[in-house]
Amino acid sequence: MPAVEMLFDALLLLCMVVLAWQGVHARNMFRAVVSFMMFGLLTAVAWVRLEAPDIALAEASLGAGLTGVLLLATLGRLAPERRRPRPRQAMTLTVLPWLALGLAGTWVLLAVTLALPAPGLGEAVFAAMPEAGVDSPVTAVLLNFRAWDTLLEIAVMLLAVIGLWSLGQDVLASPSTLPAPSLPALVRLLFPLFLLSTFYLLWRGGHGPGGAFPAGALLAAGLVLALLAGARVPRRMTGAPMRWALGAGLLTFLIVAVGVMGYGEAFFAYPPEHASLLIAVVEIAAGLSIGVMLTALFLGGEPTDSRSERR
Amino acid sequence: MSLPATATLVVILVTLPLAAATLLFASGRQPRTLTLAAALLLTFAALALGGNVYLEGVSVHAIGGWAAPLGIHWQVTPAGTVMLVATALVGLAGAVYGAGYFLHRPGPDGRMARVFMPLWLFAWGGLNALFVAADLFNLYVALEVLTLASVALVALSARRMALQAAMRYLLAGLFGSVIYLLGVALLYGQYGVLDFATLTAMLDPEDPGSRAGAVALTVGLLIKAAIFPLHFWLPGAHGRAEPPVSAMLSGLVVAAAFYLLLRLWFGPLAEMLSFGVGVLFGALGAGALFWGGMLALLQRRLKMLVAYSTVSQFGFAMLVFPLAGGDHRGTVFVGGTLLLANHALAKAALFLAAGTLVRASGSDRIGTLVGFAGRAHWAWLAVILASAALIGMPPTLGFSAKWLLLQAAVADGAWVWLGVMLGGTLLTFAYLGRLLELALLDPAPGPSPPPPLTAALLLPALLLALLACLAGLWAMDVEAIARLESGT
Repeated sequence: MPAVEMLFDALLLLCMVVLAWQGVHARNMFRAVVSFMMFGLLTAVAWVRLEAPDIALAEASLGAGLTGVLLLATLGRLAPERRRPRPRQAMTLTVLPWLALGLAGTWVLLAVTLALPAPGLGEAVFAAMPEAGVDSPVTAVLLNFRAWDTLLEIAVMLLAVIGLWSLGQDVLASPSTLPAPSLPALVRLLFPLFLLSTFYLLWRGGHGPGGAFPAGALLAAGLVLALLAGARVPRRMTGAPMRWALGAGLLTFLIVAVGVMGYGEAFFAYPPEHASLLIAVVEIAAGLSIGVMLTALFLGGEPTDSRSERR
Repeated sequence: MSLPATATLVVILVTLPLAAATLLFASGRQPRTLTLAAALLLTFAALALGGNVYLEGVSVHAIGGWAAPLGIHWQVTPAGTVMLVATALVGLAGAVYGAGYFLHRPGPDGRMARVFMPLWLFAWGGLNALFVAADLFNLYVALEVLTLASVALVALSARRMALQAAMRYLLAGLFGSVIYLLGVALLYGQYGVLDFATLTAMLDPEDPGSRAGAVALTVGLLIKAAIFPLHFWLPGAHGRAEPPVSAMLSGLVVAAAFYLLLRLWFGPLAEMLSFGVGVLFGALGAGALFWGGMLALLQRRLKMLVAYSTVSQFGFAMLVFPLAGGDHRGTVFVGGTLLLANHALAKAALFLAAGTLVRASGSDRIGTLVGFAGRAHWAWLAVILASAALIGMPPTLGFSAKWLLLQAAVADGAWVWLGVMLGGTLLTFAYLGRLLELALLDPAPGPSPPPPLTAALLLPALLLALLACLAGLWAMDVEAIARLESGT
């Protein structure tokens, strides 16, 4: 490895450690959140260095972007006294055993991972690519070879939204907006671009880095930005339309997985001639649902109107 | 080889709960007949699968037609099927009980009544997916579905204490998941496979990386199974949740993590289960048995007593690991599985009956519980039967399970573990007996117009407790045990 790359990696690692420390120990909550977001961005860079662009995309949009926005929105809703700098706590002796445990664990992990042969399933994936229906190996794994895992992951995301809504606080009443006068105009300009890039990533998922998760994250980023600029969820979109949009990804996935059994195939065995079409359908539905799910997480509670309608 | 009927039943078991839950959530309506029809269909599917597996034994199904190690496999084993059937019975009982319970306690804007059933079905689907899985990463995702659904179910009860318990449960559960995932990554990095069959063939028990992976998998699951001393999150979460939720959490969710531990240490990691590892697990079990038992004895609230009894009972289950080293591995594995099934049915019955008693008495302090007054005696009958099954009196399923473990302990001359088992059983007898004694010999009068106790609040607990007692008759059949053993 050239010396420049070594230097870059070393710097990257150093910055990550410093940011992680700041994130945990900053006395000011706001500073901690910003450190966390920076940490997410640098983690994305680290994924690029490890030649995993798909994970880098997801990390940048979710780990740095949306999680950061969620944390900032939470900060905005905390009572003022909870936001004030915490008093600096003296290091006590109780930290020592944990420190020792952490160092020992790190040492073991380092020793073990350096010795890993890391064969992976890469060769098996490439061997099966001709029958996968898509050109991108990552998409093939996520939506064909291990589609059952992905289906359950989408169920997990939907559960996160249902769980949040079951807590019931309708926080839409106190929306958090950024006091930036130019933001609304900027968002009006940018929002179509967000939509366009979402569909670009969905389309691209078939043969390169992209696909449902990054596309959904991008869609959510656009929607969240619009909300921050003062946009409101239209009344007719809350309630049933929003809930169906949230569930559409999982339902489409389930219908495709079980539907292929009608053609005499096994569960999730796409007929080869229709594989690309079916994967594209699932990807679009999942991408849109993921976008709405992430936006719903930002909104906090279930939007108001839905309740009166259900009565 | 697999027959199509088994494959179809598995597909129904794993997809129907997810589809029904999503439809219920999206439509925002709660058609009670349709939800109960889905629960009944799932129960029939689990029972039919039980029949199939009894006749045909183990079967393997490649999802999407992709062969392992590239694709994911389902492995339908006798032990897994026992857990699927227990899940279905508890799931159905909880759905019926929940329909009756939340009718009178719908929560603000009917929120609890509305959200309970989708979450319940998601948890059910996660459990089913877990009991047929035989792939380290697929198991992780199934565990995630289960954990998130469980946390949301605990948080349903919007009381402050319940929310705190739910938050603690979430953090403990996610921490366990991350540690488990670390173990998966270490083993995948070493061998490049995730499915159990290939991993079992490849695993080198001497390799330090594999050992680190095994430690991480185990610690993650010990947190999720609330094994002493990592049980700190359990009593609050199980004791403060709504009664049908506690029933599923205590009966099934903890058992699912423990079942996975059992699968791993009797499957891919079996060769690492040395004498020392067995003793360590056994010591944790003995600690849980006595610590949980002592605290159960000290509780003043009914549901907290039942929650601490879960900590203690899973200590009993940990004793299968030191016994697995002898010549009776198969028997011990079956004993462990039956112990989990017995605990699932009996503990769920106990929590459901406790919920009914708390509603009848207006308080959950043990000293203020109503006695045999009115229809509450049906709930007390369920408590008595479930206690008999937890203690392990013949002819309950608990007796069959403990009998198998005792036989193995005697045959191997493992007198220490035999003593721990007997001591633990006595302690179980003591804390459950104290409950019955306090409530039945000195009952409180209860509120003057007694709250209505519908059949939905009484029958599910009673039937589950009866099943736990009667299943023991089937499990004493030597033929049945042999068929269960064939899956190890």
